[in-house]
Amino acid sequence: MKPRNQILVPQPSRRRYYGYGIPGVDLSALAGKLIVVEGADGSGRSTQIALLVEWLEGGGHATVQVGLKRSTLVSEELEQAQEGNILSRTTLSLFYATDFADQLENIILPALKAGFIVLADRYIYTLMARDLVRGMDSTWLKNLYGIALEPDAVFYLNVPPEQLVQRTFAKNTALDYWESGMDLGLSRDMFDSFMKYQTAMHKTFRELQRTYDFTMVDGTRTADAINAELRKKISAVLAGK
Amino acid sequence: MKTFAELNFPGRLIAVEGLDGSGKSTQIYLLKRWLEQQELKVYFSEWNSSELVKAATSKGKKRELLTPTTFSLIHATDFADRYERHLVPLLRAGYIVLCDRYIFTAFARDVVRGCPPEWVRGLYNFAALPDMTFFFKADLEVSLQRILEGRPQLKYFEAGMDLRLSADPYESFRIFQGRMLEQYLAMSAEFRFVVMDANQLVEKQQGIVRELVAQRVKLDDFRRANHAPAPPVSKELPKRFKREEPEETVA
Repeated sequence: MKPRNQILVPQPSRRRYYGYGIPGVDLSALAGKLIVVEGADGSGRSTQIALLVEWLEGGGHATVQVGLKRSTLVSEELEQAQEGNILSRTTLSLFYATDFADQLENIILPALKAGFIVLADRYIYTLMARDLVRGMDSTWLKNLYGIALEPDAVFYLNVPPEQLVQRTFAKNTALDYWESGMDLGLSRDMFDSFMKYQTAMHKTFRELQRTYDFTMVDGTRTADAINAELRKKISAVLAGK
Repeated sequence: MKTFAELNFPGRLIAVEGLDGSGKSTQIYLLKRWLEQQELKVYFSEWNSSELVKAATSKGKKRELLTPTTFSLIHATDFADRYERHLVPLLRAGYIVLCDRYIFTAFARDVVRGCPPEWVRGLYNFAALPDMTFFFKADLEVSLQRILEGRPQLKYFEAGMDLRLSADPYESFRIFQGRMLEQYLAMSAEFRFVVMDANQLVEKQQGIVRELVAQRVKLDDFRRANHAPAPPVSKELPKRFKREEPEETVA
């Protein structure tokens, strides 16, 4: 990527929480931008985020990356809980929410206040979709994640399950237990379960899109082609459009 | 929100709530003994959290990592764990389950910490309401005296130090407990608390508790199966007389 000399100073965003939010935060002081990349495992999220970081930093913007299961507070315990599959639904759901809230308060909000561009590798939507697919109450989830700040842009990398399988095997030797929804008992055949689960997840994302307004991005194209689309849209966000 | 009875659970849940030092643990222990001696299926929920949730909570507390929101969420996680893994199965199996504190502690505590009341209520609405809730209402000074005399070392979050009410842990604890009491009293009617005068003698209070439980719960429905062994009598000291290694103290 060619270094650029002209630096675009971002315009302020109108900020709101989805629900009750976090007590005692001055939203007007959040000068940075929050960009979310959503999509299944193998949809190319991390590749896209890496390219965006290159581009943004080259353009003079400071960036911070967050993602699921990265909090200081509970990430280790959450990892272990998943491995052992010992927590029941509501418990696991609240554990994830704790992980999210810890990062929201300790990284996302302070970084936005300091004028950083925050790149989130997944946000509340994946967490909500996973729970919805598992039959949890949508009103309850909406209230729970009402703590979340509305991002400036949300991109959903749309890749059909048939391709996700191929990409997973190109990278790993096995399908992931959770990404295959094996806890749901959809099928004892892991391949079948994966296909069913990812189809259900995709359908749920479509439903969430109605409430949460994210941009569907065709994730089957080349990484560069996808990134060009993301850059264009993020430039518009930075320009306050 | 509905009670377990309203949801047609065969079991019944009885909860006690109140400030630290209100004597609620003594009362629920004596209620348990009385029910056990009648050979009823009774279970005292000791709030044994799973190791993982416990590890995360204690890390958060020790390192003072918690904000009001994460404090609330991690306690809700812990509660959900106990609720789904422990309480619901027992209530499905037709036990009388006794709980020393229930969701109302979280309602009071998290709201005092500044969380929006509706958000906290929503967080816990997966849980059914107790079939009876006794609220032990002691004078604030009486509760404070009991706690402060017996255990001079106060824990950071217990004293509400995170709220920056006062630099002095004792003063902070007083203000915090006072606010907790206000919250409890404000929800007392809504959740039909049985308000107990906790300034009375232990025996007098227990007499009232037993009478009310016998009136409201059909105890005959909870007989233990023949030859089920009676639970052993514990040699453990009541919590308030224990001298434990202080941890996470600020005083």
